[in-house]
Amino acid sequence: MTLSGMFKGFPLKAAALCALALTGGFLSQAQAQDGDIRLGIVSPNTGSNARYGSFALRGAQLAVEEINSAGGINGKKIKIFSGDSQCTPVEGVSATQRLIQEDKVGFIIGDICSSVTLAMQPIVENAKVLLVNAASSNPAITYKAGVGGFKWTYRNYPTDEVRSLVVLDYATKQKNFTKFAVLSVDSDYGRGAINFTKKYLERFKSEIISEDYYKDGEVDFRSVLAKIKNSGAQAIIMYGLADTTPIIARQMVETGLAGKIPLIGNGEFNAPATIKAAPTALNGAIEAAAWLPGWDTPRSKEFVKKFETAYKGETPNNHAYSHWETVHLIAATMKAANSTDGEKVRDAMAKIKFDSAVGPITFDDHNQALVPMILLEIEGGAPSIKGAFVGSIDYPKN
Amino acid sequence: MSQLQETQQTWRSGLRLPAIILMAGLVLFAPAFVGSYSLHAVVIAMIFLLPALGLNLLVGYTGLLSLAQGAFFGVGAYASALLSIHFNTPFYVNVVSAGLISGALALPLGIPALRLRATSFVMCTLGFIVIGQAISKNWISLTRGDMGLSSVPKPYFALGPWSFSVVSTAAYYYLALAVAGLAILAFYLIVRSPAGRNMIAIRENETLAEAVGIPTWTYKLIVFVLSAIFAGVGGSLYVHYLTVVSPLTFQMYYTTTILIIVLGGGVGTISGVVFGSILFVALSEFLRVAPEIRMIAYGICLLLIVFKFPKGFAPVIDKVWSALGGQRA
Amino acid sequence: MLNLLGEQLLNGIVTGSVYAIVAVGMTMTFGVLRVINFAHGEYFMVGTFASWFVIEKFDLGYPQSVVFAVALTALLAIVVGYFLMRKMVGAPFENGVLATLGVSLILQNLAVALFGGSYKFFNGGYIEPVELFGYGLAQQRILIVIVCVLVFIGLDLMVTYSRMGKSMRAVSQNIECCEIVGIDVQSVVLWTFVIGASLAGLSGVLTAPVNVSVYGGMGELITFKTLPIIIMGGLGNVRGTLIAAMILGIAESFVAGFIGLQFRDSVGFVTLILMLMWRPHGLFSLQSRF
Repeated sequence: MTLSGMFKGFPLKAAALCALALTGGFLSQAQAQDGDIRLGIVSPNTGSNARYGSFALRGAQLAVEEINSAGGINGKKIKIFSGDSQCTPVEGVSATQRLIQEDKVGFIIGDICSSVTLAMQPIVENAKVLLVNAASSNPAITYKAGVGGFKWTYRNYPTDEVRSLVVLDYATKQKNFTKFAVLSVDSDYGRGAINFTKKYLERFKSEIISEDYYKDGEVDFRSVLAKIKNSGAQAIIMYGLADTTPIIARQMVETGLAGKIPLIGNGEFNAPATIKAAPTALNGAIEAAAWLPGWDTPRSKEFVKKFETAYKGETPNNHAYSHWETVHLIAATMKAANSTDGEKVRDAMAKIKFDSAVGPITFDDHNQALVPMILLEIEGGAPSIKGAFVGSIDYPKN
Repeated sequence: MSQLQETQQTWRSGLRLPAIILMAGLVLFAPAFVGSYSLHAVVIAMIFLLPALGLNLLVGYTGLLSLAQGAFFGVGAYASALLSIHFNTPFYVNVVSAGLISGALALPLGIPALRLRATSFVMCTLGFIVIGQAISKNWISLTRGDMGLSSVPKPYFALGPWSFSVVSTAAYYYLALAVAGLAILAFYLIVRSPAGRNMIAIRENETLAEAVGIPTWTYKLIVFVLSAIFAGVGGSLYVHYLTVVSPLTFQMYYTTTILIIVLGGGVGTISGVVFGSILFVALSEFLRVAPEIRMIAYGICLLLIVFKFPKGFAPVIDKVWSALGGQRA
Repeated sequence: MLNLLGEQLLNGIVTGSVYAIVAVGMTMTFGVLRVINFAHGEYFMVGTFASWFVIEKFDLGYPQSVVFAVALTALLAIVVGYFLMRKMVGAPFENGVLATLGVSLILQNLAVALFGGSYKFFNGGYIEPVELFGYGLAQQRILIVIVCVLVFIGLDLMVTYSRMGKSMRAVSQNIECCEIVGIDVQSVVLWTFVIGASLAGLSGVLTAPVNVSVYGGMGELITFKTLPIIIMGGLGNVRGTLIAAMILGIAESFVAGFIGLQFRDSVGFVTLILMLMWRPHGLFSLQSRF
């Protein structure tokens, strides 16, 4: 067969492959039975943000398997329906509409990107579908939930207000730092956390002397690190992305910052892979995390073990954890309400006290979870836990 | 043989009117028999139709490919959101202002950009998106930066003492339909006007057009501004529907979607772009049944289109149309 | 202050070298094909993934992985080039845009589908820092600059002296004439494309040790970095591309170092637009060709 001969069949074969895959997709989606509890997960699964969505989906799937193999909820099994948002509001809303209209889900967990979650809120409100967010930190989401307006939105993820406060408190009081350089991700998460930090700067008599934000996917930090090195900053406040932290850490080693100026904030500083990438740069790093793989409780350790067995030794990240825990939270709420009816579950969630791997979770009147925040410092190549904090949120009055 | 063709022609020639009535009926009564998910997909298609019409005017009638539609779309979205959040203005004020603001912004940008030739022009317009994103991220006092503007009010109309807002998907469908219909009409009037004929002359042979006294540069600038107005109106429709706008609106997703609709649908025609916008949104939604390979399949479909329909779908639609009119397809 | 200036200049040269290797492939492809290749960065991604994969799964050394990655990228480019790019000769420009966007979607999401969407970190390469003019620098970065210089010397010689290089220049000037004098235009397009894509792959695997993170969407970013470079350098112009890449690399370093990292991505396009206002035909040609 010649090459051009092969080409003649190419479009046909591609089309056939396309069709085959599509029917396969149909079949796999059609398996849910009538009595199942239908749970939608909206997360980025394709495109450049797929690396965040994959952990979320895997965490949720693991929890569903655990619940179903333990007999489900009142004999009902949970079935996951996944919707791809690509971190784009248009796609996220389309996915949500599809989950609600076609897959008839009663509960949705989503999304990681805050803009998508914000766009989903009115949709679920109209459809009376319970949205439990497990990964967006934009404060606006719960400012507008609960007594703020949207009754069907809950968030089982800390906002960055408590996080920023805890980090700043520890850095100024325990380490006597007063001069900070900012190097955060250019997103609502990175910018938002810095805004909260600025709110508390005066209280701790400290100042920010330089402010830089990096774009998702940025790989070159040498210029900005050189600037920070010469600026007299005592620590770098970083609210960043997990897979960018090793890049920055390595370049801190290159530029001679490692061991002199620590990173403080959040960005999976504690992940073993991150520490391995540049141990000297991460020594002394201070982080406030919602969860970490090294968290020493039986429930947390069991989760890490199960996740690693299920996914070929992959260490879960905090999105995997928060989605896993949120599925369990929804299941526990259903049991507490003794119902799988959306409205009853929604009302029960407001009153639930759920024992998560990091501590008890309760919701305030804005449907915002009061989740403990773990403060840790990297010492000798391993995270050392300095405490867990629960802070309440200072809602703006309007 | 020839007699057979004769009868076929007479048999088919009466089909155009029924086809139009059927289509119009489908479009007008869609909310009655279509679920709100499909309705939502059509609303998205109509939202993307607006910047696509603008780009179509630019590519189809001056031969210039612009990637800035995504930027003007974003500007329109921000303008409309800011107006309705701060001044609670009715929808028609927002949509007109969004179009005008985008158009006004396109004027100073177009003057230098249009000095450039093909590829340089493309890159310059791509630059507008990148710079637009940087501005939306860093002009925090206006745009709230990365936090974005959320809870943008649903559109409302106020006529004297009466006012009503558009809340349900079905109601939004009719709103989008009205705006898209007006935009198609505007497009048609522009193309059919004497100015439109001059534009076609520029597309066919710029040097010749210049030689016979058509001010080609002025025409290009007008078309560039018009395309931005279309995009701005689309942005306004978008932001009231999704209620959120953030710097993510300036990501490449929007620009590539608009590009695919216009280039895949068929440059220079109305039917091609309308069909393209529905087809590509439908395709992207249909492929959700296979989430793992969705975007791969989408890419393969793009390649198939390039090789099977190198001029987009416009020729196919023309064929069907002439077949319905009784001519040989 | 002078110290900092020097350091930023050095950073700029290192960054510029990466851009240059990627951009030159794109500009050569454009020269012969007149297609803006929106999928060019994906070959950068493929190179990185290939190298990451053999290091993780087969415990190959970094140098061997470089060879494997470049070979695999070249192979992929031959397939894509044979079935797609070659057929774009003389096609309307919208076909080129659609086809390359399609290829970009396929490759990017194929990487996600094949290797999963989780974090991947690259282990390998020469990341130990050394002192150069008093500035700390990973050895790998010095390697990148050296490879960049070698690549450009090689390309310059090829374009000037070899038969292949001469046909490339001929095709980029007038396709019809080439067909008349018997140059196999499609094959020139194919091989130019393969060289360009392989260089992108080489750049990907060279930068992987310092860029650390490996993911499906990494190519898209580099595509958009190179677009302003190829215009500034003059489309199809090899030497111009090197200079434009260096200008952009240095300008970005200064902006990141003295103004703010958040403005870095705008630098390329702002520079491009300013330059186009001043010289609408690019920096290095007297009249516009494309």
